[in-house]
Amino acid sequence: MDLSDLIDQKAVIPAMKANSKKQLLQLLAEKAAGVTGLPEREIFDTILQRERLGSTGVGNGVAIPHGKLPGIDRITGVFARLETPVDFEAIDDQPVDLVFLLLAPEGAGADHLKALSRIARVLRDAENTAKIRGTKDAAAIHSFLAQTPASNAA
Amino acid sequence: MDQGIYVITLVGTALVLFAAFSSLIAFRFGAPLLLIFLGIGLAAGTDGLGLDFDNAAVAYFIGSLALAVILFDSGFGTSVAAFRQAAAPALVLATIGVLMTAGLVGVAAYYVTGFGWLESLLLGATVASTDAAAVFFLLRVGNISVRERVRSTLEVESGSNDPIAIFLTLSLVGLIASGEAMQADTLAADVAIGFLQQMGIGLMAGLVGGWSIVRLVVKLKLEQGLLPIFVLALSLLVFALAGAMGGSGFLAVYVAGLIAGNAKLRSTAMLKRFQDGVTWLAQIIMFLVLGLFATPSQFADIILPALFIGLFLIFVARPLAVTLCLAPFRFSPAESAFVSWVGLRGAVSILLAITPLIDELPNGRALFNIVFIIVLVSLIVQGWTVGPLARRLGLTLPPRMGPLNKVELELPGSARHELLAYRVVAGSPVERGQRIPRWAKPSLVVRDGRSMTYQYAGRLSAGDHVYIFVPDRYPRLLDRLFASPVEMDPEDADFFGAFSVDPERPASDIEAAYAPGLSEDEQKKTIAELMRERLGGRAEYGDRATLGEIELIVRDVDEDGRVIAAGLSVEPQAPEVRVPLLLSPRDLMRRIFRRKPRPDAGS
Repeated sequence: MDLSDLIDQKAVIPAMKANSKKQLLQLLAEKAAGVTGLPEREIFDTILQRERLGSTGVGNGVAIPHGKLPGIDRITGVFARLETPVDFEAIDDQPVDLVFLLLAPEGAGADHLKALSRIARVLRDAENTAKIRGTKDAAAIHSFLAQTPASNAA
Repeated sequence: MDQGIYVITLVGTALVLFAAFSSLIAFRFGAPLLLIFLGIGLAAGTDGLGLDFDNAAVAYFIGSLALAVILFDSGFGTSVAAFRQAAAPALVLATIGVLMTAGLVGVAAYYVTGFGWLESLLLGATVASTDAAAVFFLLRVGNISVRERVRSTLEVESGSNDPIAIFLTLSLVGLIASGEAMQADTLAADVAIGFLQQMGIGLMAGLVGGWSIVRLVVKLKLEQGLLPIFVLALSLLVFALAGAMGGSGFLAVYVAGLIAGNAKLRSTAMLKRFQDGVTWLAQIIMFLVLGLFATPSQFADIILPALFIGLFLIFVARPLAVTLCLAPFRFSPAESAFVSWVGLRGAVSILLAITPLIDELPNGRALFNIVFIIVLVSLIVQGWTVGPLARRLGLTLPPRMGPLNKVELELPGSARHELLAYRVVAGSPVERGQRIPRWAKPSLVVRDGRSMTYQYAGRLSAGDHVYIFVPDRYPRLLDRLFASPVEMDPEDADFFGAFSVDPERPASDIEAAYAPGLSEDEQKKTIAELMRERLGGRAEYGDRATLGEIELIVRDVDEDGRVIAAGLSVEPQAPEVRVPLLLSPRDLMRRIFRRKPRPDAGS
């Protein structure tokens, strides 16, 4: 299993420009609205609500905002690579430049969590994130995301 | 006779110095420093350089005094909070665990040594206790940071189980020496009464003694230099009085240490430093003397059964006893495995093995030699592998904060305040502009050799020395402000949980985001309250509370045990339990060439 079944190549933003966490989340919600056809406002509120609980910045410049969205029919991801990192209140205080937004239907339960942990694992791989940071090509980023990291596979 | 003094002193000091020097080498090898002391004793003894020391009574006497000093110090260094937290599992281990280990080893010994039942059980009793000195050394100096509950359990167990093993051994020796013509039931009754008497009097003497030490230190305005000596002498007095009254002196001196160490004396810091030194000396002397006393050329006769019993103890008896004893308490399999592996045998076992020789039991020598080998096996096999094991079991904690450059100064006249001197480290929160709380405004800043007020100094920069007066229970928060940043290790994400959670938020937020199935009542609580409840009322750094498919992890607690930072893991899975039988050659090489661990900057 890799991430390609969670995210479409169309949902990759290869060079996003955002100045703040809020703007970043707004742009992500906008993209997600385009992919899913659901209202942008609702998506934005959902992920913002989760951020209030605590930052989803997982360290080393990576954030994985996520939330449950009524009306969405399957687990859907949006990925953004930022031109300049923004502060995300991450655990290690490092600004964030790789963001994977994950939206799950209400009843997704275990699948939602499994998807989250897989994303966390792929984006924990330093080699992989270096490759993603080094390109502005959506197709290339999508293929890097689809790779299963060799280390941390345990 | 004049010459005698010089020769003995010369040899004695040379041995101690050599042992102290060897610690420099031993730090690179990790654990078995005590093994080296023992080895030096052996090397200098009858079969090595030829120092002929064969006086069982003197060896026992010196060893007992050294042990009393060590136990007082281990009590002194154990905080009451740690003691309370770990008292139940540790005391079960220290009593039932010791009995079980003694019994199991006794049975094994019966079948491989050709001793009688009583002698076999005696052998079991001598090696039944976990050695406080070895365990403390491993946990504190060996740079292993395990979960607080595991550490406290081990420390309290090893500190408090010697009296039981000592009692068992002495009873059995007495029994064998007196001939075996006693009724089983009167015997059991005698042993039980003897046990209650020893422990009861020991405990009382310890409580009264500890309290008296505290009162005397506070009341008498003793010369500062004299104070540590005074406390040391008092502790030995407690030991001797308890013993003379028919109690366990070892229990008494441990309890007295526990009380004195937790009394928040003004001079606690100084006493600790002094006792640190004395304990080192006691360790060195004890191991040297015991090494000197042994005669390795006799080991050949018993080496096979001894090795067998040693391995049986490590791989069967101790794990079995620990697993059963810890079953009622909430320990993970990895933690149980660690507790049983750190059950090192040490000087106490060898010391106890001398008692049959003093009473001239027929198989005394063989028994002593077997115990000696068992201890060697334990120190080598377990002592050497504890660090890698802790890491492999996933029990080591990532550091809470980066290295810190701090000195605590004792102030004359006031027991309520402390003067802290921090050196500002590049990358620390204060250096990056974080504010220092009002109650901790620096009194003085020293920059480039010039002293100035904080107001004048303005923003702190790396290399500044900052002096701060604080109430003695200053929060750890202050340390964090001055600590260098922690490097995030990918492994830490497993440990802390990938996502952050604000513990002050209501638990209903968790339910909304992850639907772990919280009840109505639970959703009304804050996350901190929920975690504390799920963790049995006490949250501790690194604890994990499972909620359905997710886990909440305690990232930090404040002084009152409230969760102030929490993480969330979406992949709850216990670390794989792999118990390495031996160190791989690669690990071994790495340990050999590793640099000496940095001394703790806080002390």
